[in-house]
Amino acid sequence: MKVLASRRFPRLPGLLLALAILVAGGSARADELDDIAKAGVLKVGIFEDFPPFSSAGPDMKSQGYDIDAANLLAKALNVKPEFVGVTGQNRIPFLTEHKVDILLSVGKSAEREKIIDFTDAYAPYYIAVMGPKSVAVSGPADLKDKTIAVNRGTLEDTSVTDVAPPGADIKRFSEYNGVISAFLSGQVQLMVVGNDVGATILAKHPAIEPEQKFKLMNSPDHIGLNKNQPRLQQKLNETIALMKKDGSLNDISKKWLLLPLPGDL
Amino acid sequence: MGYELDFGALLQYLSLFLEGTAVTLGLTAVAAVCGMMLAVGGAAAASEGSAGIRAFVAGYVELIRNTPFIVQMFFVFFGLPTLGLRLSAMEAAMLAMTINLTAYAIEIVRAGIEAVPVGQREAALAFGLKPRLVFALVVLPQALGNVYPALVSQVVITMLESAVVSQIAVVDLTHVADFIQSRNFRAFETYLAITAVYLTLAVLMRRLLARWGRRLLAGRAA
Amino acid sequence: MEFTLWDLIRNLLLAARWTLLLSAIAFAGGGLGGLFLLVLRVSRSASARSAVKLYIEAFQGTPLLMQLFLVFFGLPLLGFDVSAWLAATVALSLYASAYLVEIWRGCVDAVPRGQWDASASLGMHYLTQLRLVILPQALRMTVPPTVGFLVQLVKSTALASIIGYNELTRTGQIMTNATFRPFAIYALVALIYFAMCYPLTSYARSLERRLGSA
Repeated sequence: MKVLASRRFPRLPGLLLALAILVAGGSARADELDDIAKAGVLKVGIFEDFPPFSSAGPDMKSQGYDIDAANLLAKALNVKPEFVGVTGQNRIPFLTEHKVDILLSVGKSAEREKIIDFTDAYAPYYIAVMGPKSVAVSGPADLKDKTIAVNRGTLEDTSVTDVAPPGADIKRFSEYNGVISAFLSGQVQLMVVGNDVGATILAKHPAIEPEQKFKLMNSPDHIGLNKNQPRLQQKLNETIALMKKDGSLNDISKKWLLLPLPGDL
Repeated sequence: MGYELDFGALLQYLSLFLEGTAVTLGLTAVAAVCGMMLAVGGAAAASEGSAGIRAFVAGYVELIRNTPFIVQMFFVFFGLPTLGLRLSAMEAAMLAMTINLTAYAIEIVRAGIEAVPVGQREAALAFGLKPRLVFALVVLPQALGNVYPALVSQVVITMLESAVVSQIAVVDLTHVADFIQSRNFRAFETYLAITAVYLTLAVLMRRLLARWGRRLLAGRAA
Repeated sequence: MEFTLWDLIRNLLLAARWTLLLSAIAFAGGGLGGLFLLVLRVSRSASARSAVKLYIEAFQGTPLLMQLFLVFFGLPLLGFDVSAWLAATVALSLYASAYLVEIWRGCVDAVPRGQWDASASLGMHYLTQLRLVILPQALRMTVPPTVGFLVQLVKSTALASIIGYNELTRTGQIMTNATFRPFAIYALVALIYFAMCYPLTSYARSLERRLGSA
């Protein structure tokens, strides 16, 4: 104490320094990049029913674009990936409550930005209205008197609710499971999903002949992470940039989306 | 992290709440009315019918009572269309709820029938009444009177189980809650409010049906 | 990749393990809770009895789905880390305890009043009365309806699928999407539940017949 009071150690800056250390120490959450390295595991939140990004293979293990991308991300962090199944409704709480370290297949929205942070885009994604060839729909006005399935609470839900005219019957399901089941069983005429989900279904059931009617929103996928984690965010962004540059992300895109990566990603 | 419950956010959705309540009660009413009629028929078939009919009814009852309602509902809504039978969500919900209620009600009514003293039937037959009339005018009313509380309970149970139809996007009370909380992110308050509504409905339904039953069955020989 | 019929059955059977596990744990939890509540329910304290009655009314007068949601979304508010597994276990245990205490109370009530009086006159404390005199007699009567409720509990685990627990029903839903064969899958799911429940149901029924009317 005498040291702080002596003339060689002016009191005020010393106090300010101590205060700064206290504030920095108190407000900084443990650095998640370090936590992940220490645990040796990157916990990744994925949908379990969202092909071709993530869905169940015959052995019930998840596979898809997100799984391949996550494997590369984990390798860059020198840890093993651990996949945790999430739903549209619980995934953000899962992230903020640290049940997962990152979320995949997250679209950016102002509302979400208040709660979580995003990396750069790592996958192309746009939301579109899809339906069989036989159902004529070319714009929002044509949604009138049609039944439309959508995953409740997602960007698909809010974007179609915003443009749908009165008389459009929007059926909200709690998971993609319900949306796709409803569409395929003919329980609804149209569904609002990402372009790639439509492509997967087209590949499996040509009889229905689903096609994209019109785009609602272009919303490339980002990785979601907790706020105030600049080191983790930077590391993830660097890895994504690298994956784009060395062609590994393009390979993943061709494998699962059957298309090369768009140039503007 | 402090969390403040905010129920005010729910007030703007009052009309949605009312719609959802109407759907829940409507579904329950349809299932109850259709279910009771089918249950009486089924119970009659089980007591009076041939061995084949008895086996069919028994098989139906066992199948429904040993499988979850949600699976029955998914089967009707997602599975039947592959056979060419596509029902709307409301129709599928009504059908599944009716099929479900009927199975339990058949057992209840059957127990009621068995509890009617054999002497009642014998006396009526001795008066020259045809067996079918004996059943309809003598046995059945007493049977129903015997098990009325159990039937009321089963209807209330059906109303509570109907929460599950929200999963096939029927806009019932639960689905309204799901929708509201997906917009205001206040899941706990929303579901707490809806649970209070369900509890109120259950209590009211039990009281009203009990009073109505007493009036309907008053004067019947115990 | 294509799922064969055998793939479907195998995956569903594997998922059924989780249904059985959840049922067993909820039954154990509910049983313990039910016993505790039973002591309160038949006690001489009017306030204890009313409290339990309110508890029972709350659980029997509200949808199980709502109970699940309230636990799933409510526990995190209290600071607990909640997985679908934990929420389902807690909610189903509470649910089971409310039903079991009513079932068991009915059986305890069926034990003649004289038994209480006689054991009291022997100087037995309330808990000792329960343990040595009342419960053993009530026990035989409780088995059929308790087994009957166990069937109810197994069926109720299907709702855990809605909060994301990977039991039989949810696995069926996921597989329906991967294979687009809802008819076959939901029929199989129903069959597996039937195979789990029917033996319990007929066991309960045969017990009831052997015991005669209570």
